[in-house]
Amino acid sequence: MEARRKVLVIDDEPDLVEMIRMALERQFEVATAFNGKDGVAKARSDKPDAIVLDIMMPEKDGFAACRELKGDPNTASIPILILTGVGEYFGRTKYTKMNGKEIEADDFMPKPVDPNELIRRVSDLLRKG
Amino acid sequence: MWSKLKIWGLMPFRTLRAKLVFSFLLIVLAGGLASTIIGTEMVGDTIIAQAQKKVRHDLVSAWMVYQEKLNRIRDVLNLTAKRDLIIRSLVEGNLDTLRHELERVRIEYGLDLLTVTDKKGVVLIRTRPPYQVGDFQGNDELVRRALVKEVVSSTEIVPQQELMKEGPELVRQAFMEFVETPKAKSRPETQETSGMVLKAAIPILDVNGNILGVLYGGALLNRNYEIVDKIKDVVYRGELYKGKETGTATIFQWDLRISTNVKNHSGLRAIGTRVARDVYDQVLENGRAWVDRAFVVNDWYIATYEPIRNIKGEIVGILYVGTLEEPYTDLRRNVIYSFFAIAFLGLVVVLFLAYFITRSITKPIGELVKATEVIAGGDFSHEVSIQSRDEVGHLSISFNRMTQTLKATMEELYVVNTKLQELNRHYLEMVGFITHELNQPMGVLKGFLIMLEDESLGPLANPKQKQAIATMLRNVNALINMVQKYLQLGRIESGRMEINKVRIPLFEETLTPVLQDEKQQLAARKMEVVIENERAFRQLEGVADPVLLQIVFSNLIGNALKYGKEGGKIWIGFREEPLELLFYVKNEGRGIPADKLNLVFEKFARLEGELEHRRRGTGLGLFNAKEIVEKHGGRIWAESEEGKWANFLFTLPKGERKS
Repeated sequence: MEARRKVLVIDDEPDLVEMIRMALERQFEVATAFNGKDGVAKARSDKPDAIVLDIMMPEKDGFAACRELKGDPNTASIPILILTGVGEYFGRTKYTKMNGKEIEADDFMPKPVDPNELIRRVSDLLRKG
Repeated sequence: MWSKLKIWGLMPFRTLRAKLVFSFLLIVLAGGLASTIIGTEMVGDTIIAQAQKKVRHDLVSAWMVYQEKLNRIRDVLNLTAKRDLIIRSLVEGNLDTLRHELERVRIEYGLDLLTVTDKKGVVLIRTRPPYQVGDFQGNDELVRRALVKEVVSSTEIVPQQELMKEGPELVRQAFMEFVETPKAKSRPETQETSGMVLKAAIPILDVNGNILGVLYGGALLNRNYEIVDKIKDVVYRGELYKGKETGTATIFQWDLRISTNVKNHSGLRAIGTRVARDVYDQVLENGRAWVDRAFVVNDWYIATYEPIRNIKGEIVGILYVGTLEEPYTDLRRNVIYSFFAIAFLGLVVVLFLAYFITRSITKPIGELVKATEVIAGGDFSHEVSIQSRDEVGHLSISFNRMTQTLKATMEELYVVNTKLQELNRHYLEMVGFITHELNQPMGVLKGFLIMLEDESLGPLANPKQKQAIATMLRNVNALINMVQKYLQLGRIESGRMEINKVRIPLFEETLTPVLQDEKQQLAARKMEVVIENERAFRQLEGVADPVLLQIVFSNLIGNALKYGKEGGKIWIGFREEPLELLFYVKNEGRGIPADKLNLVFEKFARLEGELEHRRRGTGLGLFNAKEIVEKHGGRIWAESEEGKWANFLFTLPKGERKS
């Protein structure tokens, strides 16, 4: 059995993090962080294979975190999947601007999160990476 | 009454004033025309009647002239017959002296014949060459009566042989060939040989009153113009009208003009012509006077004819006088012109007055109209200042009051509206907050429920658990859907909806994610999505905000899912039109009644579906879709065949294509 790939989940909502963890644990090793600052630190130290990132967070939001990670050569190659808020951030592609801001993520997924879909998306990202 | 007339609609009047002026004109025109017609008719009749009356009067004068001449002849004879010289000469048989004296009298008094008979009626003396005597004249009515001591005078017809006895010159004077005219009554004769004579006969008496003989004499009227010219001079004073004689007189022997001052075409007296047929019948046959207009030789005359009778009362001729009609027709024409001139003047005056009157009437109305426009434009401070006690004054007072009331109401409304907007903002904020706050727990619930349902967290113990979880999942989905719609609405209504248009592959960016998200729902309702013209659709590019257009498709497809027939089809497609792209989402199902097609896009509208009781929507999906489509510059509408299908269509402007 090959080594399980590591996925870092960054979200300020513990229940949601718990739900995502339960979903992803079926296939991946899961690390969690509850704000952007911790998330970026963990990404740098843990070197996960993929990151699932929420936008609305205290202490450095998803935009900032994403920018920082993508701007750091050490973490730039880690694929990032952004979870977008319902209604507000419905889109998920490179054409999407969020509140008018460009965001350089690898994939987007709207909330509410379907666990099976999330597994599929993360798998896709890992395969590409 | 005017208002009921539909003619105003046909008239090209754009102003009240034009209408009023036109009404004024119409009234004056009608009145003027009526009075002109009636006036001219009346005046015309009066003028003609006056003319006829005058002509009758003229005839009386003419008769007086005529009778005076006859009386003069009788008086001359009467005086002569009583002279001593005459009586003595006759008693003594001194005929030469008598003839000499009488011839002098005849010539002096302008008589054509003067003759003496004895007491038996045999002619003793004639006073004209060849002084023929010896014939019997006792058969002559006048002589017969004089022989029984009567003094008589009258107009008599004297046959040619009798004229011959009195003097051959008289035969020539009397002889007249008929001049044929078309209107004359045809007669077998072609000439007149006898003469018409004003004649008197006087008995000559001795001192004892015994009859000695008869003196008779007279004037031949044929070609003798003394009487007619005198009539003209006395009655008409020889007046001329435009170079024409205003009055004419004629003596007819039977129907023949023997003495006249009516001129023929050559300017000569028109003797030898005869009277018109209808005058002939009326005057000669029936013995009645005739008064009417008549065309005499050259001109129209107002003419009157009366019979001339001899001593026995037999009609022997006609006396005519006529006055030129032209002065009267001219007068009538002038009167008519005057009437028209007055009417026209009246029209001008009325037009002038109407101009000012209507201005005074319509000016305040114009002010009101202006004020209304100002108020319609939203300026309530405007007041009209019309000082008038009439309806317009009342109207302006009411108008000002209305304006004030309106102003007050508008101010109240403004206050209320501001409050309402405030409330609405709070409401939207609250809805936004609640839905946003609901969002997160719903997401958690949904995720766990999915994992429970697919047993990735471990097997479920029995079907009841499975059913419970499926129901929970369905309800969570419904809640999430509702929350999404409210979040969309919040964005739209709060004016925070920004459109970031970019050129995108439409299918991939807007339809694919929606179909992905609805996969489960479609499967649950056993519905099949059919993409029409799929290859072209997948290649289609357009300029739109991908996030917002996703919402449109999501709401339309969600709608089709909710109201479509279970196990039915949903067709999704597009058509390229010259200026826009048209998209549609069509589903099988009960459809929408024709009268509800427009209502479905209203906020909180609810479609009556077969599953209505089970699947209550927010009534926001189509409203949100409409707002988004319209913000993109497109249109959205619904079509349906009831009981079969419903189709939702929307357009997007094509925008500029990048080369």
